[in-house]
Amino acid sequence: MNGHVKNMHFQQHVERAATLLCFLLLLAVDTTKTVEAGKNQGCDSDLQKTQKLTRLIHKQTGDLIKAYKASEGEMAQLFCKASRSDIPDPNISGLEPSERMASIYTQLQAFSPHLKRVQEQQMDLQPPKSLLLDLIQKVRDYSVRLTSSINNFYHNFFPNLPLPDPAGGPTTLPLPQNIFQQKIYGCVVLTTYKKLLNNISKDMRTLKIKVCTRAR
Amino acid sequence: MMFPLMSSMVVSLVLQLALISPLIHGFTNHLMVTPQSPVVQIGTNVTATCVILNTTEVTADDLYWKINSSIIPKEYYTKINASAVSVTLHITDEVGAWLFCAARSTSHYINPSKDRFLHGIFIKKGYHPEKPENLSCKAMQEGRWISGNLTCRWDSASRQTESVPTSYTLFVEEHPGPIFNVTTQDTKITVRMDVFPHHTSLVVRVVAHNSLGKAESEHLEKEAKEFVKTFPPSNVKVFAEEMFPTSLLIEWEHPIERVYLKLAYQIRFCPHGSHVWRHVSVPEEYTEKDITSFRLQNLRPFQQYDVQVRCKSRRGGYWSDWSANVTQTTPEDSPASKPDLWMLYAGGGEVQLVCKDPEMSNGRITAFNVTIQRSGNDSSEQEVVPVQQSGATWMSRQGITPLRRVSLANQKFIKACATASNSVGTSPKACLHVPSSPSGRHRVEGMKVWSQDGQMFVEWKRPNSSAVSEYVIQWSDRTHTDWQRENGRTNKTAIKGKLQSFVCYNITVYPIRAGWLLKPTSLEAYLEQGAPLEGPSVTRTVPGYDHAVLEWSTVPLERRQGFITNCTVFYRRNDKPPGTYADPPKAMAVPANATSITLTQLSGNTKYEVWVGMSTIAGMRNGTPHTFNTLKHAPGMVEGIVVGVSLCFLFLVLMVIILCIYKKDVIKENFWPQIPNPGESTIGNWSPGYPLQAETPKENCVTGVSVLDVGVCEVKLGFEDDKTSLSLKKDKYLSEEHSSGIGGSSCMSSPRQSVSDSDEGPDLADSTASTVQYSSVVASSGYKGQTPGSQSQHSIFSRSESTQPLLDSEEHPDVLLQRSPRETVFPPNPDDFRPLGGEQQPFCPLKEDAEQTPESDSLQDDTGAPLSSYMPQLAGYRPQ
Repeated sequence: MNGHVKNMHFQQHVERAATLLCFLLLLAVDTTKTVEAGKNQGCDSDLQKTQKLTRLIHKQTGDLIKAYKASEGEMAQLFCKASRSDIPDPNISGLEPSERMASIYTQLQAFSPHLKRVQEQQMDLQPPKSLLLDLIQKVRDYSVRLTSSINNFYHNFFPNLPLPDPAGGPTTLPLPQNIFQQKIYGCVVLTTYKKLLNNISKDMRTLKIKVCTRAR
Repeated sequence: MMFPLMSSMVVSLVLQLALISPLIHGFTNHLMVTPQSPVVQIGTNVTATCVILNTTEVTADDLYWKINSSIIPKEYYTKINASAVSVTLHITDEVGAWLFCAARSTSHYINPSKDRFLHGIFIKKGYHPEKPENLSCKAMQEGRWISGNLTCRWDSASRQTESVPTSYTLFVEEHPGPIFNVTTQDTKITVRMDVFPHHTSLVVRVVAHNSLGKAESEHLEKEAKEFVKTFPPSNVKVFAEEMFPTSLLIEWEHPIERVYLKLAYQIRFCPHGSHVWRHVSVPEEYTEKDITSFRLQNLRPFQQYDVQVRCKSRRGGYWSDWSANVTQTTPEDSPASKPDLWMLYAGGGEVQLVCKDPEMSNGRITAFNVTIQRSGNDSSEQEVVPVQQSGATWMSRQGITPLRRVSLANQKFIKACATASNSVGTSPKACLHVPSSPSGRHRVEGMKVWSQDGQMFVEWKRPNSSAVSEYVIQWSDRTHTDWQRENGRTNKTAIKGKLQSFVCYNITVYPIRAGWLLKPTSLEAYLEQGAPLEGPSVTRTVPGYDHAVLEWSTVPLERRQGFITNCTVFYRRNDKPPGTYADPPKAMAVPANATSITLTQLSGNTKYEVWVGMSTIAGMRNGTPHTFNTLKHAPGMVEGIVVGVSLCFLFLVLMVIILCIYKKDVIKENFWPQIPNPGESTIGNWSPGYPLQAETPKENCVTGVSVLDVGVCEVKLGFEDDKTSLSLKKDKYLSEEHSSGIGGSSCMSSPRQSVSDSDEGPDLADSTASTVQYSSVVASSGYKGQTPGSQSQHSIFSRSESTQPLLDSEEHPDVLLQRSPRETVFPPNPDDFRPLGGEQQPFCPLKEDAEQTPESDSLQDDTGAPLSSYMPQLAGYRPQ
């Protein structure tokens, strides 16, 4: 067997190897695309669910405020227009999607004790099976699920960015209040929370585009 | 296979023994079975080992096993060592069992402490759980929200026993979110979540578990909304729009707010009351933007529709129940089809034109415009018939409007046309040619009618020679008539009208060719036949001696409830007293159309009960029982007996006569013995000096002892007392009738009947009685110059009052000579001379004689004037 023949055999092996390599590369690319598509599909779905859940809580908070005002009578409009400094800000901060997601999570966390306080105060003011109490409970339950959902989403899409603690440390609740103060406090908490939900809902559309497009 | 298993068991046993050995020193029991309380899967083997502890009184060879109370055979034992023996059992049944290890009593030590050499375990038996199948969960709407209670159910294929029950744990996992779980032994349970997890995925699974293991169902991973069943749409409204007579607008409200669920809707509708629903799914794009209305199209004008709506989550979920019925009528439109014009024969050569609303009436028909054109007449009669909606007549109740009655007399045919009008417009025209005598050439043949599944079907053969454009199938009972049309290619149809069971319908198929009515064909039929409502009543019975003619009335058609297949006449004797067992009735089948029958082979003078049963294919109904008595005698039987007896009597008489004729000599000799004629006696000649004329008839009468010929006596003697004379005559005849000889009859020997039965008193009778025993009859003229010629006229018998006996040789020949052939002869039978005081015939008083007078008279008539008689003896003894 001469060198020419050997060279031919070598060339044939190289060609086969190149074909196999190309096939493997194509397979790898396709697999990556499939994973990305699946992840993208999950992004859309998760954010859509979160958005719908936000709308649901927003709707329920609206119903809650109506019930609250109905229970307080004509004076409710005055209560609700008051402003208080000890209630979290309903605005969402941050520029990056991750920052805004983190801000949403933090704000929701910050409102949770206030909602609990309002519920406690209203339990003293409302009959046990009132619609108001039922609605507060539902808003709280769904808010927990919304928070959990955002947390889950955040960890899925920003696994390397830990969620920050609430700005300014743990949420500070107001000192013991009289009934009038409780009524004002309750209404301001609910209306502010509704604003927050409204902001989240709006922000979700932007985030959906930014996060899920980036994932794509 | 068994060896490695056994070796591993031994190893494990040794290990167990090693573990428990420190403990068992404290036990007083010398036997111990391991494992304790095993749970065994049915169908597998279980091995238990019995170990001897702290004693040398028994060895492994002394041990034996019992399951419940049965000793297990030795072949199931395995001796492990000198102090341990095991047993392996195959578990087949489900009932838990006690397994005991015991020692045989081989020493005096064991017997007192038997309990210490016995140890048992309870084997629990069960099945390994199997995977639950068909897991499904549902969350219902509660108020404005979906309930947080998720109810799940599944099918369990696994069997379980009492000792090893299977439990199920349901896990509901929100993703992301909490996990809820509940456990039950049922196959249905409700998980209570705090709120329904809207916009969250749920993973539901159920785990079946028991002592033998666990099995998990398939995971049910769905969006939470796919488990939801909401309320049906609320406040459903249906609107009719005048501009759109073929559509209805439906509106509804969401049962739940859209932030919770987006719903898909489905509508179903049907003509009012038909329950044949058509379904329409409302496209999602219609409801995407919160639109809650839909327009149903392609409906029939002026049709009442029932509408219902339901909903479910767009992404799966369960359909809600249907909303409540909402009924609405589409607006009116012009009639789109011809009215159904028809005629009914009304009798008298007339037809009644009738009409039904057009099939596509599209509104309420207010009037029919009828045009009638007669044959040979170009002009037509037109009439507008308003439609009465009162429902007062059967026709209006069936939606039939009577138009006009038309006579077919002197007409070859009539042509009738009709249009129907409603508030919007007029229908196309329908025409019908009715000939006075329809052509029979094209009538349908082979018509059949039958019922099946509550419907009546009609089948016929199409006429070969004609092109039939349509058929009208008409059905009528006694009061109602209805019809339906079928196209000309049909030869079989189901009658669409409401037919009643047990009613006889006359089904008629009319072929129609180009609007011309052809000759119909009819059949009678029942939708369903039943037993007749009543049986025939026996109206008349004509009983005979051994037969009876029965007549019964036919049952009215409306009470028959079917075609009569036959009648059966039942009859039985009804002469047994009440309370006793009646004879079984005899049955006699007769044709269905029979109304009378003659029952034969009956018993005479017997009471019979009879009734008639009438049968259809569905059963029989008996009529009212009727009773009658057969005659005591057959006609002619009495006459036969009388004739027979008469014939016998006649025969007897004839025999007597014949006997008399043949034996007349003997009779004559016995009854009329030969008496010597005195006239021929030599005595007459012997005293020629005695004048024959010396004895006058008067003297004879005066003596009163002779019986004279009445006529002679009346003339010559001139009786003073006729009565006495008659009496005597009667007595004489009685004597003739009863006596058998002179003075020999008992009646004659009786003073009253013979000679003393007169008004002359008993003295005479007594005297006669005392002197008669030697009496004899002496012809008064016998010794006084008797003349043969006058003897027949004046035969006189005198009774002597003498007590001296007569000389037979002297007297009898004389008497015999004096007797004429017509004279009654009384032979001197000594037996007839009986003492008066002895055996006497009953006394025959005058009154009785008077009653017998006609008989006597008849006798007189028969015999003519009496030839002789006994005369009373008026005087006493006369010396001869």
